[in-house]
Amino acid sequence: MIDERIYQQFCEIGRDLYTANMISSHGGNISIRVGDRVIIKRRGAQLGNLKPHDLIETGIEKNDSGVTLASTELLAHRTIYMRTPALAIVHCHPRTAIAFSLSRDEIVPIDNEASYLLKKVPVITEEFASGTPEMANKLADALQSYKIVMLRGHGSFAIGQTIDEAFHWSSTLEESCQIALYAKLINEPFIEYRGMTQGYTKW
Amino acid sequence: MGGWMGKILDINLTSGEILTKPLDMALARDFLGGRGLGARLLWDEVGPEVDPLSPANVLIFAGGPLTGTGYQTSNRFSVSTKSPLTGTVLDANSGGYWGMQFKRTGFDVLIVRGKAASPVYIEISPAGVTINPAAHLWGRRVMETTSILGQNNNKRNVLCIGPAGENLSRIAAIMNDGQRSLARGGPGAVMGSKNLKAIVVEGKQRPEIIDQELFKYMLYESRKLLKASPLTSQALPEFGTVVMMNVVNAVGALPTRNHRQSQFEHADDISGEALTEKYLVKNEACWACPIGCTRISKTEKVEGEGPEFETTWAMGAQCGINDLTAIIEANALCNDLGMDTISAGSTIACAMELSELGLLDSDLRFGRADLLAPTLEGMALRTGLGAELADGSLRLAARYGRPDLSMSVKGLEMPAYDPRGMQGQGLLYATSNRGACHMRGNMLGLEVLGLPKMIDRLQVQGKSSYVILHQNSSAAIDSLVICKFTNMGVAEEYFARALSAVTGIKYATGELIKVGERVWNLEKLYNLREGFTRAQDTLPPRMLTEPVVEGPSKGWVSHLEPMLKEYYRARGWDDEGVPRAAKLEALGLDQLVEAVA
Repeated sequence: MIDERIYQQFCEIGRDLYTANMISSHGGNISIRVGDRVIIKRRGAQLGNLKPHDLIETGIEKNDSGVTLASTELLAHRTIYMRTPALAIVHCHPRTAIAFSLSRDEIVPIDNEASYLLKKVPVITEEFASGTPEMANKLADALQSYKIVMLRGHGSFAIGQTIDEAFHWSSTLEESCQIALYAKLINEPFIEYRGMTQGYTKW
Repeated sequence: MGGWMGKILDINLTSGEILTKPLDMALARDFLGGRGLGARLLWDEVGPEVDPLSPANVLIFAGGPLTGTGYQTSNRFSVSTKSPLTGTVLDANSGGYWGMQFKRTGFDVLIVRGKAASPVYIEISPAGVTINPAAHLWGRRVMETTSILGQNNNKRNVLCIGPAGENLSRIAAIMNDGQRSLARGGPGAVMGSKNLKAIVVEGKQRPEIIDQELFKYMLYESRKLLKASPLTSQALPEFGTVVMMNVVNAVGALPTRNHRQSQFEHADDISGEALTEKYLVKNEACWACPIGCTRISKTEKVEGEGPEFETTWAMGAQCGINDLTAIIEANALCNDLGMDTISAGSTIACAMELSELGLLDSDLRFGRADLLAPTLEGMALRTGLGAELADGSLRLAARYGRPDLSMSVKGLEMPAYDPRGMQGQGLLYATSNRGACHMRGNMLGLEVLGLPKMIDRLQVQGKSSYVILHQNSSAAIDSLVICKFTNMGVAEEYFARALSAVTGIKYATGELIKVGERVWNLEKLYNLREGFTRAQDTLPPRMLTEPVVEGPSKGWVSHLEPMLKEYYRARGWDDEGVPRAAKLEALGLDQLVEAVA
C-alpha cells in the first residue's frame, strides 16, 4: 500500500515536469527508494496526469510481479539505487540540455545559479540509450560523483534525497542551458563574473 | 601521504611503555579516521569480556584526514572506547583546538591502555612524550586544571577530566580547551578509571595536502555555501544552537517534563533570542570555523561557553525549568565538573518524575531551578541525592522499579527531539549504535528545517531510507573529522572532493557515504558481539504507547515497528538486525563475520 503522501509527491512533480516542457506527454519517469523497495511510474503512464494505479512498487534487487508494469527505465533506476546514495530519481527530457549534449562531453554552466548548484554536468554516450545494463552502469558510475548527468541525445538523470531535490537539479540544468543558448544568440564577449572558475572543470 | 600523519602513539599506563607504530594505510583508506578508524581499532582491542572501567578498556583519540588541514571546521577529533554507561561501542567527538593541535604532534591516533598506579597526565610535544605525576591536579575542576597546565589555544592545548570522571560517574565527559566536551556515554569515567587526569598537546607539524589547487577551490566553494545559508551565516552565529528551541517547540517535538509533553509553554524564556538579548557577551568560533556558533554567556555568577541547545533543553524544558540564569549556571557547572549535560539534565528530570510519584524521597520537582546546581554537584562528587543520579537515568529508574521512566535508548538519554513528533528521529534513536543520539544522522534537517528539502515529519513509510542515508553520512563526517553544522550548508559532494584533494586518493561522493555505511555496520557488529539484540533497538515505552497530549503532534505515538522492519531490510540485515553475509562482503567486513556468528 503506497502512502497517499507519496502519491501526492509524484503527482506534483510529474505535473511540474510536464508543464515546464521537460517531458513529452508520456516521456520521463520518476522514482523513490523506500527501504529495499522502489516506487516508480508505470510504463506508459503520463507523468503530468498520474492516477493512483500509475505508481508501481517492486524490489530494488529482487523481482516480483510489480516489474511487469514498471517503467522501461526500471533497470537504470535500480542500478542507481544499488550503487549510489540516491533516495529519489528524476529522469526527464530537457530540450535545451539535450541539444547541448549533442555536441559536448560536459556542460559547464555560465549562469550563477547553476554554477553554484551544479558546477559541471557530464555527458554520457551510450548507443542503446534506454533500458540497457550498459547504460545503467554508466549512469551509476557517473552519479557516484555527480547529482545530475546527461545521456547524450536522450535526457537527464538526477538524484536526490527527495523527488523535489532531484527535480531541482533537473530544472536548474535546463534553465542554465537556456541561458547559455541565449548568450550564444546574443553573441557578445563573455565577461567573467565568478571567482576560481578554473576549478569548475576539475569538479 | 596526504592528510594522514602515518603514526599511532600507543601508551600503556600500567607499564609506562610508550610506543610509536605505523598507521595501517589500508585501514585508513577504508575507515578514514576519527570515529571510523577508532571503531576499527576498538574492534581488535576491546572484546566482550572487558569491563569498560577496567584497565583492559582503551581510549582511542583520533583525528581524521581533514583534521588540521584548514578545511572549514577541520578542528575536530574523537575518542572511542567501550561505554561504561551503555556497554556499547562508543565514540564522542569535540571541536575547539585540541584536535588540530594533536594532529600537529605528528600522530593520527593516540591509544591509552592500562591503569596508572597513581594520578598522571600525559604530555606530547616536540620535546617528546612523557607521563607525569598529577597528584597536584587530582580533585581539581576542569577550568582550574586546564589553566594550570597552560592552555593556549593555538600553541598548547589541554584535555582533562573533572571530579565526575575521577569519581567514575558513568555520564562523565572528557573536556578539552576548557569548555568543549567529548560528553556522551561516559568517556570521562574511562579516563578516570585509568588515573589519567589530562593530556596536553603541543606540535609544529602540518598534514600534507596533495592537490593544493583543488583544495583551495573546495575551500572557496564551501565558504560560499556557508555564507549563503541563513542557517550557517545568520541563525547559528547570531543565536547559537539554542536558535532551535522555538523551531522545535513550534512543531510539537520539544520533549517537556521527562517527555510527558512535547511542547514547553515557556520555550520563549529559554530561547536563543532570550539568551542573545540578556546574557550574550560575544560569539566565538572553533579553529578554522567560519560559522562561530559558540556563545560566551554571562550571569552574575559565571561567564563562559554555552549553553548549547541540547543543554538548555535538558536543564530547561525537560526539567520544566524556564529560569535561563539557572540553566546557564548549571551548564557552566557541568563543564567544570566534567559531565554530559544531556544525560545530567535528563537524569534530573527522571528523578523529578520519580519524586513526584512518591517513589524517590527528594525535594526534586519539575520547575525546581534552585535544585539544579546542588544536584549536579552531588552527582559529580557522588554525595547525597546526587550519588543516586551519578550513573544516569536508567540505573536510577531501575533502582526504583520504573526503568520505563528513563527516557533513554540502550541507557543513553535521548536528546531534545520527541520521537512522536518526528517519526524518523524515533527510528534514528532506536537504531543508534551508541544509544539515543541526535549526532548520528539527525533528522532535524529533513523533518523540521527542510534541509535539503522538507519531508513530512509524521510520515512513516519510507523513513528508513532517509535515516540510513543520514546515519551513513554522519559516520563519514565523523571520520573525516569535521563539524556536522558544516553539512547544514555544504553537501557531502564537497567533502568527498576536499578529501580527494587532501589525500590524493579519489573518493567519489558515493564512496565517502559507503565509508560511513562500513563504519555503521562495524559498530553494529561490535554491539552484536557484546550481546545486544533486536530487543534493544527500541524506544522508551512512553514513546510507543502514550500519545502526545496537545499541540501539533497531538495524538501521535512513535510507529517504530514498521519503520524498524523496513530499516533492517533496507540495511541488508536479517529480521533480527544482524547484517547478512552479502552486505558485510560488499563492505569488506566479511572477515569479521565469524566473530559474531
